[in-house]
Amino acid sequence: MPPIFSGHPTMLEENDWRNAAHSTGTSIMAAEFAGGVIIGADSRTTTGAYIANRVSDKLTRITDHIYCCRSGSAADTQAIADIVSYHLNFHGMELGEEPLVEVGAAIFRELCYNYRDSLMAGILVAGWDKKKGGQIYSVPIGGMCVRQPVSIGGSGSSYVYGYVDANFKPNMSKDECIQFVTNTLALAMSRDGSSGGVIRLGIITEKGVERRVILGDQLPKFYED
Amino acid sequence: MSILAYNGGAMVAMKGENCVSIAADRRFGIQAQTVATNFQKIFEMGPHLYVGLPGLATDTQTVMEKLRFRKNLYELKENRRISPKVFSAMLSNMLYEKRFGPFFVEPVVAGLDPKTYEPFICNMDLIGCINLPTDFVVGGTASAQLYGMCEALWEPNLGPDDLFETTSQALINAFDRDAISGWGATVYIIEKDKVTIKNLKTRMD
Repeated sequence: MPPIFSGHPTMLEENDWRNAAHSTGTSIMAAEFAGGVIIGADSRTTTGAYIANRVSDKLTRITDHIYCCRSGSAADTQAIADIVSYHLNFHGMELGEEPLVEVGAAIFRELCYNYRDSLMAGILVAGWDKKKGGQIYSVPIGGMCVRQPVSIGGSGSSYVYGYVDANFKPNMSKDECIQFVTNTLALAMSRDGSSGGVIRLGIITEKGVERRVILGDQLPKFYED
Repeated sequence: MSILAYNGGAMVAMKGENCVSIAADRRFGIQAQTVATNFQKIFEMGPHLYVGLPGLATDTQTVMEKLRFRKNLYELKENRRISPKVFSAMLSNMLYEKRFGPFFVEPVVAGLDPKTYEPFICNMDLIGCINLPTDFVVGGTASAQLYGMCEALWEPNLGPDDLFETTSQALINAFDRDAISGWGATVYIIEKDKVTIKNLKTRMD
């Protein structure tokens, strides 16, 4: 049981559970639209307060039609994604077909739940398959798995729950959905110190994945100068 | 997290040819959350004397008020403007008075002597140890990044326009690598006959 107070009483406790969310420095999201899903993430990796990588890619390929958005420990999520990718590739060969998104999410869940004490990983699994079309499965810290039409994650997500609840509509067009994801992430990056850089997008449909980048000067602006 | 990193911030001051610059970011944040982007961290203490107070935001404001009081009393008693060197000594004394329960600010002073107009910069730790370099001083959570940028970009005898460019680039590129600094910047260029204040357009992430 970690101590609540130790050392100098006015100094903030570094490993305090109250600061636990601080290390999931990221803003990630996924949203369903008519024809597939769009995934998005910021590009900042921090070691404490130092920005170790300002152009990181948090949208990771699992299969041609299944991607994941990674938040939490960079090492943990990269390792998990590699393992899931291996299993899903093998499964696809056994099946003779493209693996289903829900199967990919289930494998993520198995790993994240069974190793929950050793891992710090919050993952959004998103993709397209012919059985259910565009799907998003949220696998947060602790290892639950739930399908959602829109999902946000990472430390920056706290600031945009209201915006997402107010602005998400089912069956948006591709361009509407791109604007929605872009705006949401821009707002999160603007408030969260652990999020920033560029917005990376992935548009996943029956045809596969289209990757886009929205650079700093093209980000939507909401602040007042 | 260290108490000096609770609010975050970046600050730099540089010497030029008959001028000095002092610049800071404009973020007011609480750990990772950014609350405001117009927070003042550099304060005018005389027509050619500015002090920057990076660190805990509440102490930034309190130390500024207490310093202004002491400076005003000095100027009333002595009937003259305080010089940057004496001002720094006064600030150092004020911080050391709280040696075992300090203010969590690490000040940066920049100015021109009121009589000779000689450029002056210095910085201090939170208990008042003065550092008097001849080139530049840095402060805040992005100080490591700032040391690197300043060491690379600074050269002696820069004119006011060049000093503005150098200071701005050093500050911006340093705080763009710090998650808890940035969200705007203000640069002051202090010359004998004028002070130019510029707000920079920066990344707001």
